[in-house]
Amino acid sequence: MPDADGMILSKDEENDAEVRREDQDRINEFGRLNARLHEVRDEVKKLNNLLEKIEDASTELMMGNGDRVMLRLGEAMFEATEDEATEFCEIEMERHQKMVDKLNEEEADILEQQSGLKKLLYGRFGKSINLEER
Amino acid sequence: MSTSVSTGGASTAPELSAARQAEADEEEVANISLESITEGKNERGIPATKFLDDIELFANSFNPPASSELLIGAYSDLYSKFKAYEQQLEQKRATYQEKLPEIEKSISLVRHLKSKKDADETVITRYNLADTIYSKAEVDCSQGIVNLWLGANVMLEYTYDEALELLISKQLVAQNDYKEVKEDLTFTRNQIITSEVNISRIYNWDVRRKREAKFAGSK
Repeated sequence: MPDADGMILSKDEENDAEVRREDQDRINEFGRLNARLHEVRDEVKKLNNLLEKIEDASTELMMGNGDRVMLRLGEAMFEATEDEATEFCEIEMERHQKMVDKLNEEEADILEQQSGLKKLLYGRFGKSINLEER
Repeated sequence: MSTSVSTGGASTAPELSAARQAEADEEEVANISLESITEGKNERGIPATKFLDDIELFANSFNPPASSELLIGAYSDLYSKFKAYEQQLEQKRATYQEKLPEIEKSISLVRHLKSKKDADETVITRYNLADTIYSKAEVDCSQGIVNLWLGANVMLEYTYDEALELLISKQLVAQNDYKEVKEDLTFTRNQIITSEVNISRIYNWDVRRKREAKFAGSK
């Protein structure tokens, strides 16, 4: 059973506006954006953690004394020169940073679309609809 | 999701009335078929919740006209079915989220081996011998051969290029399946929200109807 947040509105707060097909579509769209927003935020968090690790590795490499180092690819570790390892880190950094930038853009985009939908839906249904995070 | 629509006080009341009515309605519920509360399907056969333009008209389309409890019961059933399906899809999505990086790892490994072969170098590696033990090995890349684990206790020998080709085609298939699962998930969530809104609207329609009946009676 869906819970409707346990809200019972007083009579004068009630809103008789009928839900039209386009309203339903807007509500669905809002829900979809919300789900995606959470995914995007989770993903950014994960990627930022990874970026931090790669950055730590780069710093360690800079402080190293030119010995061969072990590079972890998949499940196994491979011997590599410091230069190879540094290059690997740089490429990985750039690749993941691009992903983060793209996701940040998407987040801003989602928030903008949501605020547009909020205006429309609150305008039509007033207090009868709740679009805020619990 | 924060799209609970509480149009005018549909809180726990439908739950109570639905429970109260459940027994009495059991035979009646059978009259509302899945077809009458859904319309159409998506590409992979997930039914779509019917949007109700006019609840009064919809209720009267049944013979005898369906009560609000009956309609709410039918949509609640539909809602829980979609909820269960949503969970299934979420699990499916999680397996792809695990599988895709694994394929990517394999691809980058084969690429690494290939670049070492092209540079005429041997690869020195520490590989996982047992859970907590790593062992050192020298890999002769000059043969240009790698074994891929295909599952079902089968491992096959490939050249680096063949291996890359296979892995990339597997990656494409997985990416496509992943995309489909994500689409289905979005679709299913839309049906969940539509069902929720329908339940609230039917409840409110009933409240208004009863209020009007009372008003007319008191005159």
